[in-house]
Amino acid sequence: MSRSDVLVDADWVDAHKNDPGVVVVEVDEDTSAYDTGHIQGAIKLDWKKDLQDPVRRDFVDRAGFEALLSERGISNDDTVILYGGNNNWFAAYAYWYFRLYGHHSVKLLDGGRKKWELDSRELVKDVPDRPRTSYRATDQDSAIRAFRDEVVTAIGKLNLVDVRSPDEFAGRLLAPAHLPQEQAQRGGHIPTAKNVPWSKAANDDGTFKTDDELRTLYRDQAGLDFSRDTIAYCRIGERSAHTWFVLHELLDQPNVKNYDGSWTEYGSLVGVPIELGDGQ
Amino acid sequence: MTSDGCGAPAGGAALPADAGRQAIVQGQVTRDGAAVQTGYARLLNDGGEFVAEVPLGADGGFRFFAAPGSWTVRVLAPGGIRVDRPVTADFGHVSDVAVAV
Repeated sequence: MSRSDVLVDADWVDAHKNDPGVVVVEVDEDTSAYDTGHIQGAIKLDWKKDLQDPVRRDFVDRAGFEALLSERGISNDDTVILYGGNNNWFAAYAYWYFRLYGHHSVKLLDGGRKKWELDSRELVKDVPDRPRTSYRATDQDSAIRAFRDEVVTAIGKLNLVDVRSPDEFAGRLLAPAHLPQEQAQRGGHIPTAKNVPWSKAANDDGTFKTDDELRTLYRDQAGLDFSRDTIAYCRIGERSAHTWFVLHELLDQPNVKNYDGSWTEYGSLVGVPIELGDGQ
Repeated sequence: MTSDGCGAPAGGAALPADAGRQAIVQGQVTRDGAAVQTGYARLLNDGGEFVAEVPLGADGGFRFFAAPGSWTVRVLAPGGIRVDRPVTADFGHVSDVAVAV
């Protein structure tokens, strides 16, 4: 898969956002930004309300995903262009999620909402009205989602990539520094995990670095063994979806899973090993 | 805060009940005395590594919950603006950073 199969730039979106068969979707945890202005024609997905199960800690099941996309007017044949705030974390999570449920044509807007804003591109308040569809999803693709037991088994065997900030990795912070620090989990990281913060894969404006820069970052600088399978994690699975996108979609690594339980699950488990400090 | 979210609200998260025990870095971005509403504040650690980012609030404000130590606030705004300001944080202390761009 090449970069152009999975990533579009702002000029492409401007040229194609009204094409039949193209649906632009803004995804964020807090969708109030969408309400203040969004790319013309874009609909919104709320990471929490739309994509997460309201009771259990899990995301919506296949039937729920089908109902959601049908209600929003997305068809199986549509090319879905995802973008959002937070450097596309939640858009990357949604991308992974669309892939989990078998959507064929889905791409990220490189740089997301941030670059769009920094470039002073147009944002509108009009909310499009899309006719209802009958979306059909596939069963979840277990090849790209990791659960806790396989993460514990992977210690010392597979590439584990902790994509949180160096301070969260070391245990000095328990949450990203834009959030109050929480107390529920132990600090630290999964033993043998390499710390490659998601932010190293992105430029300041939120766009992804070049394939060569990314290969150098993960293989040469972090020491990932590209012949091994890889599991990426963060705190709740959205920053690691960003890294999953880099490794699986941009660098074409065949076996990469996102562990969406991530540190809020692992750091609360009884009896699992934890490593502190900055790592090797 | 909740453990099921990780997103950065515009302006930064509200002060929590235990704010007195947090190491808070906050401030406001202005241009010619007026709040800059479109832009981003990033927090970098003392090695220059990215740690967090929030969109600026309607008042140009931002807030981070750091750990004791030296940090840098980097402001990005339309027009290629990029301004760095050093700041020191400590538990139980609010470090205010005013950034004029």
